[in-house]
Amino acid sequence: MFDTGPFALFKWEKLFSDWRIFAEGFVTTISVSFLGLLLALVLGLIFGVLATSQFRSAKIINRIYVEFIQNTPLVIQVFFLYNGLPHLDIVLPVFAVGVIGVGVYHGAYIAEVVRAGIQAIHRGQLEAAYSQGFTFWQAMRYIILPQAKIIIFPPLTNQAVSLIKNTSVMAMVAGGDLMYHADSWSSNNLYYGPAYIVVGLLYLSLCLPLARFADYLERKAKMNP
Amino acid sequence: MKNLKFLFLGFIVLLGFVIAGCSQQAQKPQESSAVPPDIKAIKDRGVLNVGVKYDVPKFGYKDPKTGKVEGFEIDIAHEMAKKILGNPDKVNLIAVTPKTRGPLLDNGEVDMVIATFTITPEREKSFNFSIPYFTDGVALLVKKDSGIKSFTDLNGKTVGVAQSATTKGAIEAEAKAKGIKVNVLEFASYPEIKAALESGRVQAFSTDGAILYGYLDDSTTILPDRFAPQNYGIAMKKGNDGLLKLVNSTLEEMQKDGTLQKLKEKWGLK
Repeated sequence: MFDTGPFALFKWEKLFSDWRIFAEGFVTTISVSFLGLLLALVLGLIFGVLATSQFRSAKIINRIYVEFIQNTPLVIQVFFLYNGLPHLDIVLPVFAVGVIGVGVYHGAYIAEVVRAGIQAIHRGQLEAAYSQGFTFWQAMRYIILPQAKIIIFPPLTNQAVSLIKNTSVMAMVAGGDLMYHADSWSSNNLYYGPAYIVVGLLYLSLCLPLARFADYLERKAKMNP
Repeated sequence: MKNLKFLFLGFIVLLGFVIAGCSQQAQKPQESSAVPPDIKAIKDRGVLNVGVKYDVPKFGYKDPKTGKVEGFEIDIAHEMAKKILGNPDKVNLIAVTPKTRGPLLDNGEVDMVIATFTITPEREKSFNFSIPYFTDGVALLVKKDSGIKSFTDLNGKTVGVAQSATTKGAIEAEAKAKGIKVNVLEFASYPEIKAALESGRVQAFSTDGAILYGYLDDSTTILPDRFAPQNYGIAMKKGNDGLLKLVNSTLEEMQKDGTLQKLKEKWGLK
C-alpha cells in the first residue's frame, strides 16, 4: 500500500528527518505574516479614515492607492519590488519585499473595509461631535471608530487569513518562506506528495483558528449591535 | 464547537481517501504474454505521451516564430514512438517543468519524460530511469561587467539555480572543495533566474551548460568551469518495467548505429 507512489512511506520518513527545513520556512512565514499584517493595518486605517474625510486631495490619493493595488496581481507587485527596484538602485532584502508586498496589498483591502465601517455609522454622530467642539481626528478617535470597530472586525480577520496565504508568493522570489522550502525540498528529491500535504496542514493550522475567531466576532457583533 | 469537530473529522476522512486513491499499487500481476501490460496500454491508445521541455533551446524548445516544438530530446521521443508504435509521428508532446515532471508521471498523464532529467540515486527510488543518453556539466553564466572570471571569484556571492535541479548540491559541493562560501537561491523557472541576474539579486546563473547557452546574450558570458557531470535519463513510472527494458534497448541501438551521435551533431551538442 505504501511502498510506491507519491505517498510512499520512505518519502514521509525523509520529510520528518528534514523537519528543520520546514520549521525554518514556517518561522519565516509567521514573521512575514505578522509584520505584513501590522503594516496593512496601519495603511488600512490611515487610508480608510482619509477616504471619509472632507479633504478632497486625501480622497483622491486614497482612490489611486486602492484602485491601483486592488486591480493588479500581487505576483506582479512582488516581482516589481524584487526585480524592478534594483534597476533604480533600491535593493530591498527579500524579507522586506515579502512584508511590504503583502502589507501594501492587503492595506488597500483593509482601507476599503475601514471606509465601509465608518460610512455605516450615521452621519449625525460626526455632526454631533463637531457641535461639541471635537476636531475631525478627535471625533474619529473617540466617537466614530469605537462604533465602527464592531462592523470592521469580522472582514478584517478574513483579510488577515488572506494575507497569511498570500505570503506564499515569496516562493517565487526565493523568499525562504514555507512554500519556498516545500518547493525546493520536493523538487530536488521529487518527494512532492508528503511535502505539499504537510505544508498545506501548516497553513491550515495558522488560518483555521483565525477564521474561527472571525466567526466568533461576527456572532458577538450580532448579539450586541 | 460540535460543528468544528465534525468539520475536522470530515477533513481527516477526506485526506485518507485522497492518500488511498493516489497511492494505489502500480504493480500488476506478471502476465506471461509477449507484450507487457504497460506497453500494451500505449499500443491500445495508439499514441505515445511524452513530457518534454518547451523552454530549453536545442533540447526541447517551442519556437515562438513557427510554433513548432523541436530539439534533441524531441527527436528521441519520435525514435521511441517509432520503436513502440512503428510510426515516429504518433507522439503527443506535453510541456513539463521541473516541478511538474514527477506528478505527471505518477498520475499517468505521460508515459515517459525526456526533459533534461538528471539521474540521481534519490530520484531512482521514485521513478524508473533509462540509461543516460546525454552527459553535461554544471556551468555558470555571469554578467561581463561583473569581473567574475572563474568559480573561485564567486566567494561570498549569490548564485541562482532552478528548483528541481541537482545544481544546488553540485555548487555547494564544489564550493566546499575549493574552500569558498557561496549562497544559493532557487527559482521556479529559468527566465526568473535571468531576471534576478539582471537586477543584481544573484551574481551568477547556474544550470547545465547546454541549457545555459540558450540564455547567453551580449551582456553575459559563460565561465569555462564545468563540474558535477549530469547524466540525463528518460524517466518512467515505477513498475513500468517492460517499458523501461524497451526504452533501454532502443537507446542502446541508437548508440550502436550512430543515430544518437547524429542527433547530437544535428543540434550542435558536444
